[in-house]
Amino acid sequence: MLARPGLPDFEYLKAESPQEVFNLLKDKGPDLKLMMGGTDLFVQMRDRDSGPGTLLDIKGLPGMQEIEFGKTVGLTLGAAVTLNQISAHKDIRKYYPVLCQAADTVGNYQLRNRATLGGNICNASPSADMAPALLIYDAELILESPGGERQLPVAEFWVGPGKIALKEDEYLKAIHFPPPPEGAVGQYYKLGRSKMGDLAIVGVGMLGYPDPETPAGLRFKIGINSTAPTPYRVPAVEDYLAQHSLSDDVLSQAAEDAMDISAPIEDIRATALYQKKMVRNLTKKGLKEIWGSLK
Amino acid sequence: MTITESGLIGKSVQRTDVMDKVTGCAVFVDDIQFGPKLLHSRLVRSPYPHALIKKIDTSKAEALPGVRAVVTGKDLTARLGLYLIDRPIFAYDRVRVYGEPVAGVVATSEDIAVEAVKLVEVEYEVLPAIYDPVESAQPDAPLIHPDLGSYSVVNFIFPEPGTNISEHFKIRKGDAESAFAECAAVAEGRFRLPPIEHVPIETHTSVALCEKTGQVTLWASSQSPFAMRDMIAQGLDIPHNKLRVIAPLVGGGFGGKAGVTMEACAVVLAQAVEGHPVKLRLTREEEFVGTSTRQSLISDIKVGCDKDGNLQAMELTYYFGGGAYNDYGVNIARAAGYSCTGPYDVPNVKADSLCVYTNTPVGSAMRGFGMPEIHWGLEQIMDHLAEEVGMDPVLFRRINCVRTDDEIVSGMKMTPIDLEACIDKAAKAIQWEKKEEPTGPNKKRGKGIAIMWKAPAMPPNPGSAAVVRFNEDATLQVEVGGQEIGQGAFTVAAQIAADVLGIPYENVTVSTPLDTKYSPYEWQTVASRLTWSMGNAVKAAAEDARCQILETVADAWDEDIEDLTIKDGVVISFKSEREQPLDKMVIYGMPNDDFEGWKGGPVVGRGHFMPTYVTNLDPETGQGTRAVVHYTVGAQAVDLEVDLETGQLEVLNIASVYDVGRAINPDLIMTQIEGGAVHGMSSAYEAMKFNEDGVVINPSFVDYRIATIADIPRKIHGDYVETPIDDGPWGARGVGEHVMVQTAPAIANALYDAVGIRFSDLPLSADKIYMALEEKELTQKD
Repeated sequence: MLARPGLPDFEYLKAESPQEVFNLLKDKGPDLKLMMGGTDLFVQMRDRDSGPGTLLDIKGLPGMQEIEFGKTVGLTLGAAVTLNQISAHKDIRKYYPVLCQAADTVGNYQLRNRATLGGNICNASPSADMAPALLIYDAELILESPGGERQLPVAEFWVGPGKIALKEDEYLKAIHFPPPPEGAVGQYYKLGRSKMGDLAIVGVGMLGYPDPETPAGLRFKIGINSTAPTPYRVPAVEDYLAQHSLSDDVLSQAAEDAMDISAPIEDIRATALYQKKMVRNLTKKGLKEIWGSLK
Repeated sequence: MTITESGLIGKSVQRTDVMDKVTGCAVFVDDIQFGPKLLHSRLVRSPYPHALIKKIDTSKAEALPGVRAVVTGKDLTARLGLYLIDRPIFAYDRVRVYGEPVAGVVATSEDIAVEAVKLVEVEYEVLPAIYDPVESAQPDAPLIHPDLGSYSVVNFIFPEPGTNISEHFKIRKGDAESAFAECAAVAEGRFRLPPIEHVPIETHTSVALCEKTGQVTLWASSQSPFAMRDMIAQGLDIPHNKLRVIAPLVGGGFGGKAGVTMEACAVVLAQAVEGHPVKLRLTREEEFVGTSTRQSLISDIKVGCDKDGNLQAMELTYYFGGGAYNDYGVNIARAAGYSCTGPYDVPNVKADSLCVYTNTPVGSAMRGFGMPEIHWGLEQIMDHLAEEVGMDPVLFRRINCVRTDDEIVSGMKMTPIDLEACIDKAAKAIQWEKKEEPTGPNKKRGKGIAIMWKAPAMPPNPGSAAVVRFNEDATLQVEVGGQEIGQGAFTVAAQIAADVLGIPYENVTVSTPLDTKYSPYEWQTVASRLTWSMGNAVKAAAEDARCQILETVADAWDEDIEDLTIKDGVVISFKSEREQPLDKMVIYGMPNDDFEGWKGGPVVGRGHFMPTYVTNLDPETGQGTRAVVHYTVGAQAVDLEVDLETGQLEVLNIASVYDVGRAINPDLIMTQIEGGAVHGMSSAYEAMKFNEDGVVINPSFVDYRIATIADIPRKIHGDYVETPIDDGPWGARGVGEHVMVQTAPAIANALYDAVGIRFSDLPLSADKIYMALEEKELTQKD
């Protein structure tokens, strides 16, 4: 039936230390949900007319809202850094522009004041706008547990729609990005039903950069959302491009291959066939534009 | 009496409500505080599109702590309706649409009401449901209203008992069959238009209070507080003077807050908890399933012309999917019937316009009232026919469009208009003759035009009343019963009163909120009728007040009333050059010259307007002397491009030109034109979607996309023509709905010009367009 008028009842707690988080995770088990900006979570709780008994807000933990950047060490974002903070950061704009472009397409400005990068990752929507950028910048997630930290490539974190490889005693603390390849050019191509605020019918994030080791002299990284159970890279396509001397035909073939790899389902936003064709067309458009600006 | 020329008519004065709205001071229903006695309510809704109700058990819900009342339709078999009385307040014997209310719960909090709703147990016997109006119109279709024959109905609506047809309007004019045989070219097509939602930003909200004395007060977000009072009073047998409807500002109406939707539920729930105000506030999702929608339409159109392009014959069948209840929608099918040809001069017409019950959300009034629906097909088929005879679409329309004094399809003589001027101005604004290059690679560009007409669709005699009251300092209260729904009705009322009375516009206040206890009568804020009808009433009231003032002064000065006028709030005599400020005299009157006694007194002007000249139409031929009061006409031209890689459309320029009779406030016309263009685009790109069980699957702004500020056309060109009518204030008529009526077909015609593909079904989604492009091998271009 229809969504309820407001949120179901829940207990709200704000964590002040990692230890408090670990204790509560252990005590409450599945009845507790970690919360960041809440912009996806609240909507789901309202739609489903049910939710966890306790929301544990972890935005305030030490380091969760920090942004650290160094040209040699790369970028580390606390999991609770908001999308608007990402978009406005001048080093991110310069070195990781696809992150900013993607952030700017999510919902609307007011929502992006609350929406966090960590929340977007943990919500694990197949259509997550930040996902292609995370994939092509080789994001590593820093997960904190009582046993200490571990790092996990973002692609391994997404297991299925809404499903993540977060252990019961863990939380996402930060996201690390290695320095981007020298001379990289990137772009996020998003197709929505309207120009602002829609969920992606298809989103393709793409990075191209010089690589003298390859026959092409270039290498591409391609991340795609909304057309499979999780956002994904297309390594076969990336390798094909690296191994061929680039031409319009090669780019077209690469785009066809990306389309063949995609596995969308029909949803309210578009038919599966259209989504597949848009994977091809956006990929091709991106390859041509990025190749053009690197030539 | 001559009218003062203070120059306010035709001037773009600032809106009366602008400061309230930009500062957030404006009060809507949900802003009003009702104190600790306030109770909250929620409705129990049907999970099936068509089912018999076998049993309702409310005992568990009643036992929940905090629940004050649970109400069902068991003891409440009254039906509501404006034209066809077919709608129960709570379904009691059968449900006819997913989401139909079967019970209501009153509790001390909304959360408790939500829980109580889950405890109401309803036993259903599921019936086969029918969604397609053509199927539903067939003689063997399962009946949605088996009792149709027993419903009360007004004398100009013709239901067909024993079928699902709630209205059948016929036009039989000339001899279409013979005329087609003579035609040099004929075009035919079937066009489909799915339902869309009004999506007002403020969802429907009501608070009702029933007191021990029998007094009932209803606060509602409403376009028609008087019609709402009338329908609820009749349905619940409450004397009109005991039912008070207070209607604060409306956060978007578009027809969806006309008549009654959920408000009667609030009143019935309040009757169960005397002395407590009860709030009923719909969610966004409920707005889609529990209010009303634009009706769906399937239209079969055949049209023919001679070798020179002159229209000769039309044959039309309109199947309106009216939804579960057609109490209001029947008049949409009727309006579509008597205007069935669109704004064209066609000598031979056979038309059948049907409103058909379907197990879909209730179809009702929405901006355009049948006209966007029929123009979607009409305006494409005219392009098609023009192409058949090798004629430019603009020229084709210039030749065939309706003109002043033409005998139109209903047999009425056309009221004054100049549609050719609108066509010429719109075509010029987008440089119709010029073939333009796309703005980038992998795009195709095209231009399209569409014209429209629309008459206010009403009973023959809907009335307006107005009162103007002076204050001591000669500021003025204008009292009206028409609602401000964003169109600027209050501004125009103030402007008219100020102009007639010769006082500054800033000195006029419109008395709000509307309140049936104090406000003078207004039929409804619909049909783009306020500037015209309410405007006439305000003008009459102001003239009455002006007359009272001048009589007093003339008497006191012993002068002739014809030698006096009012300018800038001062009565002046042309003859004696004496002056008398209105200040104080409009309340205290004037002393005689010798101070022996006084003249005059508090000035209160009254006025009303009601059209008295509309006639009924012959039920077999649809012919009559005067089907409607008048028509507003206009043209829209679109310059757009389509992205061959994605199928997405981008409107580069849209030009809208309408004949408004007389522009009272040009800025308000321009804001209607801008809003209409964007609304029209949304109506072209989006629609309600249903699953196979008749459930709306996109009832939210996540999945029902309306155009935002980012989607609006790069350029909106607005203009108007002024061909005055006899019965409007200064010749003015309405232009509120018209501005979005033909946007979708104008876009479709431009799309055809760009890529040579006709789309007969809305919405025009990028998905659908891209697949059609690919089929035509237009997407392979590099």
